Amino acid sequence: MGRAAHWPDTWLVVLGSIILLAWWLLARDSGGSMVSTFCSSDTLWAVPLSLRLDLVLMLVSPAQLASGSALMIAAMMLPLVIAPLRHVRDRSFARQRARATILFTAGYVVVWMIVAIVLQLIAVAARWAVPTPLLCFALAVITAILWQVSPTKQWCLNRCHRRPHLAAFGAAADRDAFDFGLTNGASCAGSCWALMLLTLLIQGQMLGMIAVTLFIFAEQLEGPAQLKWRWRGPSKALRIAVAQVRMRLTIARAKIL
Amino acid sequence: MAYTRKNVWELGGVWADPILWYARGVKAMKARALSEPTGWRFYAAIHGIDQDLWRQLGYLSSGDAMPGSGDIETYWSQCQHGSWYFLPWHRGYLLAFEAVVRDAVVKLGGPSDWALPYWNYFKQNQDALPPAFASAHWPDGQGDNPLYVPQRYGPNNDGGVYVPVNMINLNALGDPDFSGVASGGSPGFGGVNTGFSHGGQVHGGIETQPHDWVHGLVGGGDPQSNLPGLMSDPDTAGLDPVFWLHHANVDRLWEVWRKNPTSHLDPTDANWVNGPLVVGGGSFVLPMPGGVSWTYTPGQMSDLSQLNYTYDDVSPPSATPEMVARLERLGVTLETANALARSTAMAGPKTVELLGANNESLRVIGTEAGTSVTLDTAVQRKVSTSLETAGAAGKPAPDRIFLNLQNVRGLNDATAFSVYINVPEGEDPVQHPELLAGSIALFGVRKATLADGEHAGDGLTFVFEITQIIDAMHLAGALNVSQLRVRLVPVKPVPEAAQISIGRISIFRQST
Repeated sequence: MGRAAHWPDTWLVVLGSIILLAWWLLARDSGGSMVSTFCSSDTLWAVPLSLRLDLVLMLVSPAQLASGSALMIAAMMLPLVIAPLRHVRDRSFARQRARATILFTAGYVVVWMIVAIVLQLIAVAARWAVPTPLLCFALAVITAILWQVSPTKQWCLNRCHRRPHLAAFGAAADRDAFDFGLTNGASCAGSCWALMLLTLLIQGQMLGMIAVTLFIFAEQLEGPAQLKWRWRGPSKALRIAVAQVRMRLTIARAKIL
Repeated sequence: MAYTRKNVWELGGVWADPILWYARGVKAMKARALSEPTGWRFYAAIHGIDQDLWRQLGYLSSGDAMPGSGDIETYWSQCQHGSWYFLPWHRGYLLAFEAVVRDAVVKLGGPSDWALPYWNYFKQNQDALPPAFASAHWPDGQGDNPLYVPQRYGPNNDGGVYVPVNMINLNALGDPDFSGVASGGSPGFGGVNTGFSHGGQVHGGIETQPHDWVHGLVGGGDPQSNLPGLMSDPDTAGLDPVFWLHHANVDRLWEVWRKNPTSHLDPTDANWVNGPLVVGGGSFVLPMPGGVSWTYTPGQMSDLSQLNYTYDDVSPPSATPEMVARLERLGVTLETANALARSTAMAGPKTVELLGANNESLRVIGTEAGTSVTLDTAVQRKVSTSLETAGAAGKPAPDRIFLNLQNVRGLNDATAFSVYINVPEGEDPVQHPELLAGSIALFGVRKATLADGEHAGDGLTFVFEITQIIDAMHLAGALNVSQLRVRLVPVKPVPEAAQISIGRISIFRQST
């Protein structure tokens, strides 16, 4: 099927626009509204943790905390919802696709908002416990690597690939779309939390955030796999990139000759 | 030399030369160690292997030396299912296997033009297992016929092996598109473009019928141990010598589809032509005689003349293409029907949308299960309009309608059932073949149900075209209903232990 080229679906254009807007805002602010950035000054590292958290919450309003988290989630995590959203839309009546899309995304974002705020507080605690930035970062890298090779990470990744059956009518359809957003968000958060923590500890540096986003997106191209200790990374994405470039070069060369 | 694959039932006798030499070739392959790439079990493992299952069935023992990890990584578990690579991968697999058998045949003094026979269970009186496979004995009475396997239980699990012809069909040959969609519409003749993902949940038209069905029913299951017959499970299917004749028939049907009519075209998308390697998968690579390997792509599998073989019969089951026949049934003139069929074949992407669904998941236990699919009034109106305006100037061909069994999960690949639409209350569905949506065998469902397996535990999705049933309802003025009743009739009672469930049953319309 599909002999003629066609434009991307509207919902993909909207989603892509939201993601790009989030990246633009992050770049403009350099992640400025995130708690970890506030803490980067290290001016308060010597105070007790409870006081430090109090000060953080006093100086960074809940609105700032929420908006910072929301921006980070929109930029880094929304690319991951394309595949599950396609599932939700395919299984919904055409006139209810927008509603189902919003409900799924709401469930997904709710989970991530909670996780992002918790991760920000953990980041504050980590900087308090390990005041030396380099050492703190090194410990976070070790944590991320350990999580990356663990069977539990694979368990979460496998659940990210789940595409459950969804009710089609009425409140049950709404509930299923929202629940799928929650469970997919939870699986995704379980898979990505260590890398996100790393991102927070590098204080919102754009290059680091982009690298982590690409890594997370690429590793979800891998299919489900057995649970075991092993390195897992975006090898399939790299294979795709290399093969697609090679194929296109071959086609272009053939056309020239 | 062009090789010709012939109908196993028309070779001139139960033990005609081609089948006798096949048996000798199989025997030679079976004599080779598991670790030999041209050995029988190695070749079966290329399709798939579950070591625990092989041990339970007696095909793997502690005395077997496994191949090197490089060979396992390169060759084993390559089979392509639920994907638009299904047909080309299996075509290459057949060609390589045939070359290995032919090499053995020639070394034994047999004919150099030996070709694999095919089993066309659709032909009258050819639905039974070819007798050379059903006997434990060679024609001289010796009891080690390599074509015979005891783990072949048949549709009733009693060892009587045949293909119930009332439950198989060639509907896929009427699909104008090779590739389809996983969104509820036609999965296409050859399967769904799975993009960058691994094997999909949706099997293509020809894969569902007759491929899966014949696998499940020929293999069946052992009623004592509950172990599957070899043919029933993708991880053991290649161990059964009849597997290759079944797949030769499926391969033949690809050629039938390509030739009838000639507007049926294989994909030209570079991701199909070049194979899964360009979408992050592995190469198609198979061991050949002489210790060499052969790497191939789907694009190289399209043209039989380039592959140096042919079939003795690629005639279509009906002279009139299905779409033309459908339009005529709806009252469209032959001339307009032909024009519409041509324009549909050239049409771009289709619109697929949900028309109705049942309300909750369905367990299949015992001799029957049923549910009702509630239809959405607004979408139903679109379908009615498209049928009412069939053949009108400027209107496309009417919608096609598809029944989807989504998230089918369970533990028994040999489970098979027929699905009927709107059979009158209290009547036997079997007496209403006109209401048969389709029959399926759950080939691969066990693996698809594993939470940490390739399908993440989501199971399989089966798609039946029910356009003909909807058309008949329209012509009878009976389409204005709020619900369609769906009845599932298992071929044999489904035990509770099989844990067969269907997440959702839904109906989609696809514009043409």
